[in-house]
Amino acid sequence: MSVTASPAQTVPRPSPPSARLDVEASCRLPLLALFSGGVLWLFLGLLFALIASLKFHDPHFLASEPYWTYGRIHAAHRTALLYGFGVPAALGVGLWLLCRLGRAPLAGPGVVLVGTIFWNVAVAFGLIAILCGDGTGFESFEMPAYVTLMLFVAYLMIAVCGVLTFHGRTERKLYPSQWFVLGSFFWFPWIFSTASMLLLCMPVRGVLQSSVAWWYAHNFSVIFLGFAGLAPIFYFIPKLLGRPLHSYYLAALAFWTLALFGSWGGIPGGAPLPAWIVSMGVVGTVLTTVPLLAVALNFYQTVYRDLDALDNHLTLRFTYVGLVFWLLAGVQQIVGVLPNVSALTDYTWFSVAHWELFHYGFFAFAMFGAIYYIVPRLFGRVDPLPWVPGLVKCHFWLTFGGILISYLALLVGGVGQGVLLNDPNYSFAQVMLGTLMPLRISTLGDLSIVVGTIFFLLNFALLLLRWGFRCWIENSAGTRKERA
Amino acid sequence: MNSGPLLFLGLFVTMALSWLSFVMGPQLQLGDTGPTTNMIVGASGQIYPHSEPGTAHQGAEIYRANICASCHTQQVRPQGVGSDKSRGWGDRRSTAYDYLFDQPVMLGLQRVGPDLANAGRRMDAAAVLLRLYDSRILTPGSIMPPYPFLFEKRKIQGIPSPDALQLPASFALPPGYEIVPRPEANELAAYVASLHQDGYLFEAPPPFQPAGKTNAPVPTMAATNSPAK
Repeated sequence: MSVTASPAQTVPRPSPPSARLDVEASCRLPLLALFSGGVLWLFLGLLFALIASLKFHDPHFLASEPYWTYGRIHAAHRTALLYGFGVPAALGVGLWLLCRLGRAPLAGPGVVLVGTIFWNVAVAFGLIAILCGDGTGFESFEMPAYVTLMLFVAYLMIAVCGVLTFHGRTERKLYPSQWFVLGSFFWFPWIFSTASMLLLCMPVRGVLQSSVAWWYAHNFSVIFLGFAGLAPIFYFIPKLLGRPLHSYYLAALAFWTLALFGSWGGIPGGAPLPAWIVSMGVVGTVLTTVPLLAVALNFYQTVYRDLDALDNHLTLRFTYVGLVFWLLAGVQQIVGVLPNVSALTDYTWFSVAHWELFHYGFFAFAMFGAIYYIVPRLFGRVDPLPWVPGLVKCHFWLTFGGILISYLALLVGGVGQGVLLNDPNYSFAQVMLGTLMPLRISTLGDLSIVVGTIFFLLNFALLLLRWGFRCWIENSAGTRKERA
Repeated sequence: MNSGPLLFLGLFVTMALSWLSFVMGPQLQLGDTGPTTNMIVGASGQIYPHSEPGTAHQGAEIYRANICASCHTQQVRPQGVGSDKSRGWGDRRSTAYDYLFDQPVMLGLQRVGPDLANAGRRMDAAAVLLRLYDSRILTPGSIMPPYPFLFEKRKIQGIPSPDALQLPASFALPPGYEIVPRPEANELAAYVASLHQDGYLFEAPPPFQPAGKTNAPVPTMAATNSPAK
């Protein structure tokens, strides 16, 4: 398929500088609020992960208080990452892409700012509730009923502004990133309201609760975070390489098949549910091969002439590594759902390895890349404020290395655990002791990710300080001029 | 694909498909399952399933609050999927029917510890209490964290408490002290000790001994009317 024959937009076109400054001025405060809140939650969530991981070195570590029990810390870790970092980062990057690609300023920046504050307060309440023992008991949906309503309203305040921005766009042609952003914006309230209603407000009977919770968690990750992470990947790789996206149609194919098949699944094989539900999940997940291949082919054709250039730009490096992690996580998910494999790997560290690869590897990297590009441009200048390059490098390598260590350790540990568990000659205690070494190695990976994130936080704080300093200088220069 | 409304419509249809098949479909099939239509007497002689009594019911809340489900599943997979049956975690697979009275349902997604679907058939409340106090008492090298906040360490005043834990020598306290479970610990132990999935269900019949190679009826079963062992 030749690029010129394509009727639609295949390359994000640069907008005129004046329009760009308007767009970025409108995004400044809400996006800074979304990102800085998200980054702080990310750090806190990673700290929780480290604590949880340390408990495998010594079960007595922080055991004396109920707040730091493994179960609660583990749930708090996932909640902080998914809701504290995941949703605000997805929303922030999504809003910016909608503004940029639609060439329109953000609609209702004040509403977004208030929504962001509400969201962060609700997440804080939710985390405190979990640590105090008020979690719901559903994996990935741990925050209690009194927080979900506030989360829902805060989300709507932010996302509605995104939809209005999209509605007021001046560039009518759509670029694939916009589909992905809108897909994620619409998907979340649907699944979140379903889960809140059917799990907390009017709980369905018996095991249906589990099926709803599994369906929700699967959709939250695969579709909501998946779309939100793919959107900047589709935007930045062609843009920063200066090459048009190979095919608009392959992108459309990937988008629709991922929405259709990616939303089926999440039910473990052998679950106490009618067999057809489990089978549909398996079929749907296996069919996500289509979007996986479509995305892989599309980007391979886009970048294969410029493979060296991928490392030249700081954003691009995070973005393409995120893409590679997305493909790997997709392959692991498809392999892991095949009945012969899932009989071994369900309920083992294999699925935790996948969780880490998808959320830290793919999603967080896609967001880091976007944040490194977006934030310096929010300050309303043609020359963006620079990041400290050394800190970016430290952040990249420590996080990348940490994810690899943690992922490989858990993957090997999980497969080993599954194989041994399948053989009843090994007692359960023996199998558990066998997984200890991989788990302890994965702590090293967690530690490396935490240290990398400290560099990121530091860089972020330095940038904000520098911005504040420049504003102060300009203000005082302005007043001096007025006096003169 | 340049039209916002069309994009919205497409997303809505794909979303609705997923919702219909994974939320609505199961609800239509299982949502109105009730205990009254299917009263089945379990191996223990009780109607199955039944709502657990007070302390066990309160214990489910402690189980939820401490998110025990992050390490323990409560589901036995069918024969051929994993080794759940041969590990003695249950003699039949779990079915939707087993969870009718659970609120919330905590099936769990990870087995850092053993499956608890039939924990009540393997251990009594006293054993659960010992495991909660320190799992290494019964399983040396266990990685389960201790839950000291569920217990009270106190000086023996007069007669030792009858509820105090019977600790082995290697875990013994200084003389004059005892470990007494708090109410939460007793509730949680009652809950875990109440877990059992042993009702005979149509979709998960009780285990039976396979017949010999001939077609003739198994003599022991034909001779007496007693159930297969």
